[in-house]
Amino acid sequence: MKQKDLISSLFWLVIGVGVSYGGYDLELGTLHDPGSGFMFFWVGLLMMGLSLGIFIQALRKEGMAGELKTLWSGVQWKKVIYVLVALVFYAFAFQFLGFIVCTILLLIFLFKVVEPQRWSVAIFGAVLSALTTYLVFKIWLGTQLPQGILGIV
Amino acid sequence: MDLLNYLGIGFSVALQPINLLYCFVGVFIGTLVGVLPGIGPVGAMSLLLPTTFKTTPEAAIIMLAGIYYGAMYGGSTTSILVNIPGEAASVVTCLDGYQMARQGRAGPALGIAAFGSFIAGTIAIIGLTLLAPPLANFALRFGPPEYFTLMILGLTVLIYLAHGSMPKALIMAAFGIILGLVGLDSINARSRLTFGRMEFVDGIGLVPIVMGLFGISEVLWNIEQTIRRDIFKTKIKGLLPTAKDWLDSKGALARGSLLGFFLGILPGGGAVISSFISYAVEKRVSKHPERFGKGAIEGVAGPEAANNAATGGAFIPLMTLGIPPNVIMAMLLGAFMIHGVQPGPLMMKQNPSLFWGVITSMYIGNAMLLILNLPLIGMWVQVLRIPYRILFPLILLFCLIGVYSVGNAVFDIYVMILFGIIGYLMKKFDYEGAPLVLAFVLGPLMENNLRKSLIMSQGDFSIFFTRPLAAASLILAIFLLVSPLIPWMRKKRKEIPTEETA
Repeated sequence: MKQKDLISSLFWLVIGVGVSYGGYDLELGTLHDPGSGFMFFWVGLLMMGLSLGIFIQALRKEGMAGELKTLWSGVQWKKVIYVLVALVFYAFAFQFLGFIVCTILLLIFLFKVVEPQRWSVAIFGAVLSALTTYLVFKIWLGTQLPQGILGIV
Repeated sequence: MDLLNYLGIGFSVALQPINLLYCFVGVFIGTLVGVLPGIGPVGAMSLLLPTTFKTTPEAAIIMLAGIYYGAMYGGSTTSILVNIPGEAASVVTCLDGYQMARQGRAGPALGIAAFGSFIAGTIAIIGLTLLAPPLANFALRFGPPEYFTLMILGLTVLIYLAHGSMPKALIMAAFGIILGLVGLDSINARSRLTFGRMEFVDGIGLVPIVMGLFGISEVLWNIEQTIRRDIFKTKIKGLLPTAKDWLDSKGALARGSLLGFFLGILPGGGAVISSFISYAVEKRVSKHPERFGKGAIEGVAGPEAANNAATGGAFIPLMTLGIPPNVIMAMLLGAFMIHGVQPGPLMMKQNPSLFWGVITSMYIGNAMLLILNLPLIGMWVQVLRIPYRILFPLILLFCLIGVYSVGNAVFDIYVMILFGIIGYLMKKFDYEGAPLVLAFVLGPLMENNLRKSLIMSQGDFSIFFTRPLAAASLILAIFLLVSPLIPWMRKKRKEIPTEETA
């Protein structure tokens, strides 16, 4: 059994079922005049068929024992979690704290926690990058960036 | 005479100072991302797309196109000096380029790569200039059935060329189509799969999806493993290839240019495949095939010419039919649409300054690249020394700013993070992002043309088989889809190099 393919095919099967149902719900129309859900329904069915095919193939194939575990063994997966948490926090606090504060905090975290550097490098790098991008995007390109409650930018 | 007239219009646009500046920025950033492993042209184009919103469509497309062909130039540098390809189209350059560098011939290897790229790029642009007008005229006769089946064919070729399992690539394409259809129905304005969220009414943005799949996921993938890069410590001298080098490479350059250009036009084809095929051809026609892999200059010249010529060829289906043949062109199609321009057979007549401006800017961009790549090679080597621990926070920051600036919406950042996770898991579970993105862009066009075709034929599917071009495209697509069931075709498919554009 190929665990990897079993799991992923089941995931796509669920998505396919959902999409087909969504299409059916939206109205299929007729062949003369296809409705809004026509494409969703058929593409969803195609996904279901393909995922079932992968599922059956995976059942037949020889897979490694504990295949799922090996996907994350020997790699520094914690760093991935740190980065994702930092990105979500950035999105969450972006409007509230404003561009510069938020960016400096994010970069110090990434420079320091994910790949440890000296404090001086982390702080200097973060401030320099935040100010440079502010200059390029806000001043030069006129991008709208949030000011935040501190009113800094 | 018309052609000269059009080229005149093109140069008058491309030589405007602002367009020259954008062209320079494009090729510069292209070279940069070509040099830096871990970010490719697709990621860079989506990053910079928002910065073009305030410019004219000409400047925007000129810059984005510059990133594409600039990356092909830059990619060879890392292949030759570090034995790590900066992007997938330069994988094959490692074989002989790195060996040349080890033998103290890094200079001529870099030189022939740059000159070869310049020559091939120019040949491809001339081909594009000559072929685009008649093809656009021909395409005026196409109706919805032709467009629908051509898109099916394009998508099928990409799926066929995807590495690994074809059913998985098909699922990715199906998922891409669904994502592309989220939002208002273009025919009756009914909202579809929006889950009651206003943010989805206009559809899911291309930029958050591409940045998530090709930017964020790439960073996640790279930081969980330790990347080591040993830069070849040698003084690079004598960038100009010798007369013998030129003599050895001239056939390879000519064959690579032609091969790359024609493979670039084909849907699903592109820079990666043409570089591999060029290498195989050179080895086969060589009188001394045993030199390949040991520092043969033809092994650098041919593939580098081919991957650059392919970028020129790839513009033909996009600019004349409005159908992107690969993911990068799909990004460009997105950029055209954001600027309110619909590429296709009418673009040349309705928007001659844009059409010819972009094409002629490529002549100028190629000259700029030669200057950027030869005298400044030392600078690119320095760029290579930037450690990934410094680079990845900056890539993430650019992704965040880029995606936010598209619509000033924090929601888009969440969408990008979500697609970053999806992309990371896709890599773990052996699914590819390229079919998803191409299908995402083509999905709405395909649906529209399918529905129009069925309305035209009053629900009769034979419309796809009674019109010659539609029938030929569909039959070819079906053949490619069932080919893995035929043993010798399955073997052939496994021999084809994979197209990865991250």
